[in-house]
Amino acid sequence: MDTFIQLTINGFTLGSVYALIALGYSLVYGILKLLNFAHGDVFMVGSFIGFGALQLLGGSTAPKVPTWLLLVLITLAAMAGCALLGVVIERFAYRPLRNAPRIAPLISALGVSFFLAYSMQLMFGSEQRDYDAFSLSGGALFFNGFDIGNVRVPLLRIVIVASAFALMIVLWLLVTRTRTGKAMRATSYDREAAAMMGIDVDRVIVFAFVLGSALAGAAGVMFALRAPTDVAIGFLAGLKGFTAAVIGGIGSIPGAMAGGLILGFAEAFTQGYISTRWSDLLVFVILIAFMLVRPQGLFGKPDIKKV
Amino acid sequence: MADEETRRERLEEGVPAASATAGPQIGVDEWVARSAERRGGRGGRLGVVEARLRTVPWWAWLTLFVAIVAALPVGFESGYVRRVAFDTVIFMLLALGLNVVVGWGGLLDLGYVAFYGVGAYTYAILSADRYDLHLPVFVSIPAAAVVGGLVGLLVGLPSRRLVGDYLAIVTLFFFQIFLTVSNNSDSIFGEDRAGGPNGILNVEPLSLFGRELPVSTEGIFNVAYLYVALAFFVVVFVALRLANASRTGRAWRSLREDPLAAELMGMPVNWLKLTAFAFGAAVAALTGTLVTALNGSVFPQTFEFPLLITVYTMVILGGAGSQAGVVIGAIGISVLLELLREPGDSRFLFYVLSVLALVGTLRFSRRLAIVLGGTLALGFVVHSLAGAIDGSWTAGAARDGGRLGEWATQWVVVPSSLASWVTPVSYIGLVAAVLTLTLLRGRLRLALLVPTLYLAAFVWENVMLAKPEPTRFVVLGAILIAVMVARPEGVLGEKRVEIV
Amino acid sequence: MSAPAAELLELRGVSMAFGGLSVVDRLDLDVRAGEIVSVIGPNGAGKTTLFNLVTGIYRPTAGKIRFEGQSIVGLEPHQITRRGIARTFQTLRLFLNMTVRENVMAAAYGHTKAGVFRAILRTPGQRREERAIRELAERRLAFFGERLMGYRWDQPAYSLSYANRRRLEIARATATNPRLLLLDEPAAGMNPVETHEITELIGKLRTEGGYTILVIEHDMHVVEGISDRVIALDHGVKIAEGSFDAVATDPRVVEAYLGTKAAERK
Repeated sequence: MDTFIQLTINGFTLGSVYALIALGYSLVYGILKLLNFAHGDVFMVGSFIGFGALQLLGGSTAPKVPTWLLLVLITLAAMAGCALLGVVIERFAYRPLRNAPRIAPLISALGVSFFLAYSMQLMFGSEQRDYDAFSLSGGALFFNGFDIGNVRVPLLRIVIVASAFALMIVLWLLVTRTRTGKAMRATSYDREAAAMMGIDVDRVIVFAFVLGSALAGAAGVMFALRAPTDVAIGFLAGLKGFTAAVIGGIGSIPGAMAGGLILGFAEAFTQGYISTRWSDLLVFVILIAFMLVRPQGLFGKPDIKKV
Repeated sequence: MADEETRRERLEEGVPAASATAGPQIGVDEWVARSAERRGGRGGRLGVVEARLRTVPWWAWLTLFVAIVAALPVGFESGYVRRVAFDTVIFMLLALGLNVVVGWGGLLDLGYVAFYGVGAYTYAILSADRYDLHLPVFVSIPAAAVVGGLVGLLVGLPSRRLVGDYLAIVTLFFFQIFLTVSNNSDSIFGEDRAGGPNGILNVEPLSLFGRELPVSTEGIFNVAYLYVALAFFVVVFVALRLANASRTGRAWRSLREDPLAAELMGMPVNWLKLTAFAFGAAVAALTGTLVTALNGSVFPQTFEFPLLITVYTMVILGGAGSQAGVVIGAIGISVLLELLREPGDSRFLFYVLSVLALVGTLRFSRRLAIVLGGTLALGFVVHSLAGAIDGSWTAGAARDGGRLGEWATQWVVVPSSLASWVTPVSYIGLVAAVLTLTLLRGRLRLALLVPTLYLAAFVWENVMLAKPEPTRFVVLGAILIAVMVARPEGVLGEKRVEIV
Repeated sequence: MSAPAAELLELRGVSMAFGGLSVVDRLDLDVRAGEIVSVIGPNGAGKTTLFNLVTGIYRPTAGKIRFEGQSIVGLEPHQITRRGIARTFQTLRLFLNMTVRENVMAAAYGHTKAGVFRAILRTPGQRREERAIRELAERRLAFFGERLMGYRWDQPAYSLSYANRRRLEIARATATNPRLLLLDEPAAGMNPVETHEITELIGKLRTEGGYTILVIEHDMHVVEGISDRVIALDHGVKIAEGSFDAVATDPRVVEAYLGTKAAERK
């Protein structure tokens, strides 16, 4: 029972990180119908920006600001940096291909992903970077928290899950309540029609990249708070985030959240009960099966072909 | 082939018959149809040469090409050149296979390298000491290709129901599954099946007609392997060409153009996707056998993501859809990656390509002189300023010197030790400058070009030369993006149109 | 038509709904062999959906579709094409980067057999078949007289003018050797001269090609010129059927096109 609770907590934390990544995929796919393969690497860059900001603020052993402010600041730095990165990527790698054959931006996205990963390796090497969250406030983030049965839920996990969900709610409000959000939804239904109705489609697309990349940046920091980061994490994290988006129904915001959690649980439980070595394999096999049974995802609608 | 015949006939007839009458009206069909004649044909002698070259049939080019590659070992005794030539032929084969899927089928196959791995592992299992099967190569090589093709079909099967991008995802999953399985193959249900990360060792080399081909004789690469690879290349090239000209090939290309229209014209789109997929996979698997036979071993690390991107860059750069294009792309990228390994070669490549690119875009004009002169002058000014402020800033030695290296350090600032912030700042600055350049026009562009070039030289000398491995892949990624944005049809591909 | 020929295509109570929106509602429709039937109706009347149902892109939510007496509901589109139904598209879906001839040759896929391995080995049978496909394509292209002849065969399809693209679509559809040809607005976007040509061409397709034709058309001159029978749809329901004159003056048709007031004035 204790293991179960422990794994549930792990799954929850992991899942909320995946959900944040998945949202970025979903936002962009919803509007551009583009699989942004570079998204995972934006996430990786986010974790590095967070690391850089952490060092600037004195590191985790001797921070210059209180812990809560430190966490907020590094997350904001990562979000801002990634948002900028997302805009640059969109402007230079995707926008020129807006009317190109379908496969062209996908290949460009592969190029961006590769370019980002190896540029980071070129600049910072392939060593691991550890946020050393354990040292923050003398381990308060790990020792404090509440108990479920015999299992302690550390404060850090609570912070990660809570802030991930807070961000998702903010996003949800942005998309459903604001004018730009409405424009986004209109654009995702029909780009041409939206353009004819006076919506500045370019701006909407940039906005989607800003939001998605900022979430990826936040996810990067959350990920790196619980495990060391390096320049290679982008690929697998991106793949999983994307998978989460597909499970939930790509293009759907609640879908991305649900998909992220499902994936997080699936991974945590296979690791805990079956095997660490084979957990990725199991996750992907489950996914292929899932995509066969319900290709439109949990919350997606089946495609209607237009002729 | 048939197309070429008719084209030749037309050329022999001289000007198309239609032009005997009054010229077509602008905007009317004939006018549109002949746009190629108006733009494509170069005037003067060069034009005549070009037109003549176009009439040379494809098999003549192929023969010439094979003859040149086959003659390489005669000119170069060194095992290194032979090995690079072999690797290049391997890349050519991989590019040809991927071209079936991406160039003709229009499908994004992100698991391609895994099929290469499947072939390599199949061959290893059929011929390594450890499994003691030792099948003859005339069985094991075709068997590996068939297994590759079948696995391709199997992977494609779930994508029957999945449109477009989902196929890419399933193949990516498959790639990941392949990596997980091969890396953990030392403990499948607790038993060591294929060595895991330690791979399979002691795989038999090729043996032809009962004679074993040693991998190397007296430490020098056995040239027989190059010829075997070349023979594979010719067979694959011709077979795929014939396939492309056939009913199936037309269907593949129809599928790339418009899957729904293809389906409604009686083509079973799902089945065709699978066959395109399986064909690509079979070629990749076939290629895998050669490499395993040569190396005498197979390791999971060979089949990772960077290799996939490498092959993609070859296909895209050369021109997806054009067989000659992807072969040229494979040669270009393979040689490029080889040159980037050595700091000396890499430096040479950088300066030569920079000047060539400038000449290519600015031609021999005053602007070219201004840019080159300006960059040189800027370099000397910055260099002497930096040297005057702090001697150590220019005291760094050129990596892997050579005369060019010595010259370069007289011009580029190479500090004896780099502060940790210099690398990211200069690199990100360079990327930003290059991106900004693409937005500017006219004088501003020229003005920014000068410092950008110098910055590029600085980054190349200080950052890139120090780390050849990431540099190679950064360059690949940049090529992939640049080609896609600037010339999606690649070097030799035909310009594609798509009405959206 | 003189002799009452057999029903080639039969729709009985066919309905199609997307979500809650009914696009085609309990439609009955017959096309007899050798007929030219026009389907008219305002935009959104369900005309193209009707084509999509017949060609198998959509599966009807209810009802039966029979071709030559056999049900074709649930077949894949390519299987339906092989049974003898071919279509063109309102929005033109040519294989733009393939040559004109290849566009037509590609459509012969369904009724040819040589597999890819035979092509690689260049067996005599495969070469014979390839020659036959080529001749078929050239015959189909020659059907359009000067328009698609000669050196244009080796041009990529995107180099064709709009009108010629429409012609090429028809040529491509006929290369599947259909018995029933579905033409989706063949005269859309054409000038009066070209429209006149297409009207004659549709007649010629029946007399010389022997195809039965179901056509969607907005241009009433074309409809008048070609139709044995006209069917008017509105909101997925058949509102009139009969000769051109009868349908064109039917008050419900006028109302569907012009609104209630205009119908009353009349």
